[in-house]
Amino acid sequence: MKSVAMNLLGNTADAEDAVQEAFLKLFRSLPTFKGESLLSTWLYRILVNTCYDIGRRRQRRGVEAALDDDSKAWEIRAPQGDASLRVTLERTVADLPEPQRSVFVLFEVEGFKHREIAQILEIPEGTSKHALFVAKRALQERLLAAREERA
Amino acid sequence: MTDSRFVCARLEDALRDDEPGLLEAAREHALGCPECRAALAAWDATSALGPLLRRSWPSPELEPRIRRALLKQSNAKRRLVAPGWTYALLAASVLLALGLLIQLRGTRSPQAPIDEAERQLLTERAMAAVERSEADYIGSIDRLAKLAEPIIERSSSPLMANYREKLEILDAAIAECRAQIERNRFNAHLRHELLSVYQEKQRTLEKLMQEKS
Repeated sequence: MKSVAMNLLGNTADAEDAVQEAFLKLFRSLPTFKGESLLSTWLYRILVNTCYDIGRRRQRRGVEAALDDDSKAWEIRAPQGDASLRVTLERTVADLPEPQRSVFVLFEVEGFKHREIAQILEIPEGTSKHALFVAKRALQERLLAAREERA
Repeated sequence: MTDSRFVCARLEDALRDDEPGLLEAAREHALGCPECRAALAAWDATSALGPLLRRSWPSPELEPRIRRALLKQSNAKRRLVAPGWTYALLAASVLLALGLLIQLRGTRSPQAPIDEAERQLLTERAMAAVERSEADYIGSIDRLAKLAEPIIERSSSPLMANYREKLEILDAAIAECRAQIERNRFNAHLRHELLSVYQEKQRTLEKLMQEKS
């Protein structure tokens, strides 16, 4: 959950706040849970919506997403891979519009299936597939451009 | 699907629709088609980047923080309680408040003088009444849970899996509440919280039984 929130919000403090808020909302709304999806899927739906809310609040206040600085951020990331590639990837994903960004994070980073993503984001499964396709195409182009720039 | 030009033209569709059959055919076709092979390799490479963004970091403070916030939230939210418990809790609260008032004022009621030992006894009695009511209520929910157990175990439907998951979460919450109550028997907030979780369990079990019938 922290990983999803981190990828949607860009810093650990906001991510932890989002996780806490999601749990509070879950327990508040537990009586309305109808069992139409897995409870865990429902929790992720609450989490993603909470991240959107935090993002919107930040936008209203005119606060830029406080991305963790590199020194701290690298400690919390997967150790493998090329560092500059990861920076580019992270920024490119952060620049993707919704729902492409969320779909990419949930599918490629967290390993959810389109059926689950459709329930989490409350979108049709076809929209999830299409969003992933567009997101990956955009990533391919931007990563290629970044590589050419570096070269 | 064996027509090479057809597969080339449909590669985008295969990637967009994520249809296993179509993708499989595209991969097979790509073995002999350099263009499609390159396109598929680029596609797979983008997927392989995903796990690089998976984050984990230690946050030992987060779980206790969430527990505290949950407890605070449940204390703030005064829920309606089941009738049997309501009266017992009400009685206990009145007696506890009365006891506190007497202690604070340092006076005694003129009609019914209550000494310290009597007050303690009354409080203990009220608490015992609450605990008896709790035990009866919990016993009835446990019986309901026993009835539901074979239904959940036998069924492999996703709906029953959801119920199982929800009941597990509720049982964990009950265990947590009970552990805290053991440390402080007279904490009415915790008892309210425990009751609301039991009520949720009762509602869940009832719904589950209705689904079965």
